[in-house]
Amino acid sequence: MQEAEIPETGLVNLSDIKSHNIFIPPLNFAPVQRQLYRCGEPTVLNFEFLQLLKIRTVVWLAAEDPKDAFLAFTDNNDISFEHLGILAEGANPWDDITDYTIKAALEILLDKSRYPVMVCCGMGRHRTGTVVGCLRKLQGWSFASLVDEYGRFAGPKGERVSVEMKIEQFDTSVVQVFDPPEWYIKTTS
Amino acid sequence: MLVPPINFSLVVGELYRSGHPIPLNHEFLETLNLKTIIYIGDRSDEENKEYWEWAERQGIRHITAKMASVKEPFMMNDPQVISQCIEHLVRKENYPVLVHSNKGKHRVGVLAGVFRYQLLGWSLSATYDEYMRFAKGKAESDFVFIETFEPDFVLEMRQVPGWLRQSLIEQRKLSSLKRGLLQN
Repeated sequence: MQEAEIPETGLVNLSDIKSHNIFIPPLNFAPVQRQLYRCGEPTVLNFEFLQLLKIRTVVWLAAEDPKDAFLAFTDNNDISFEHLGILAEGANPWDDITDYTIKAALEILLDKSRYPVMVCCGMGRHRTGTVVGCLRKLQGWSFASLVDEYGRFAGPKGERVSVEMKIEQFDTSVVQVFDPPEWYIKTTS
Repeated sequence: MLVPPINFSLVVGELYRSGHPIPLNHEFLETLNLKTIIYIGDRSDEENKEYWEWAERQGIRHITAKMASVKEPFMMNDPQVISQCIEHLVRKENYPVLVHSNKGKHRVGVLAGVFRYQLLGWSLSATYDEYMRFAKGKAESDFVFIETFEPDFVLEMRQVPGWLRQSLIEQRKLSSLKRGLLQN
């Protein structure tokens, strides 16, 4: 098997080193900040792509359990899996994401030692959108800007006003930040 | 309060995309410590005079890649302009970079799409999905452009950003691995 080298220096024609492999990112995948990613639930098709990201922590926001294959993937790759979907006693899967979940998720997203981090739910739309929206709020983004970002991932039926209300009412002062990633310090100083 | 430009997003590494910034966005943009702004669009430097003066005050190098909006079938994307933009994006000395068009939908979407599919090895389905998240409905021939664009670049390897280099290595490893599996 010839594993051609990618040279460190010199001039190289891209077509001479480009192979035609395809990486398939999960549904609704996007980078949020440096080494922080969002998406819907990954399937086997996405695992090769995910390995490129060297993820250390998955923040799972769906109330339902993830598929076994995804759990096995996190196990095999030494990724810690944080199931934050149901935390409050007596909560139901059809309930909206709770403030407890949002707070717990944000405290992982703002802990440098957990990086790289991937935050996801079933489709990567509303629960993930709620947490990312609250992160933007902490970063000082205008509400219009964070709603716009949420809307891009909300799918064909569009934004849910309930998600926007949730983000708006979330009190960011409850989030405890100890050792955040560099970009967070930058945007809030 | 920080107001990112319309359709602002991180693409990869320290590469950002957006629509045309307005003065309201300056404070936000200043948090990114940009080194380069690439504007792909049809506004002249004269029309952008105040914008570029702001950039210069920030010590940001600005590049205008003139390309008109697509009007099919007579006004199409210009592969040379896209190539010219990518040549700036494969040099780490230019980062952090913001690439923007006017609305941050089509022209910058094509550039990001070419980058995703042709350089980073993303699947077309994910590339198109990302394009559509910003363009919201209208793609015309942009998908065909992304798919058929032939990147013909000489890379100065010492300048290639780490994440691109890593992606090229992994693409290579994986395709030879897959070939190996199917042949045995």
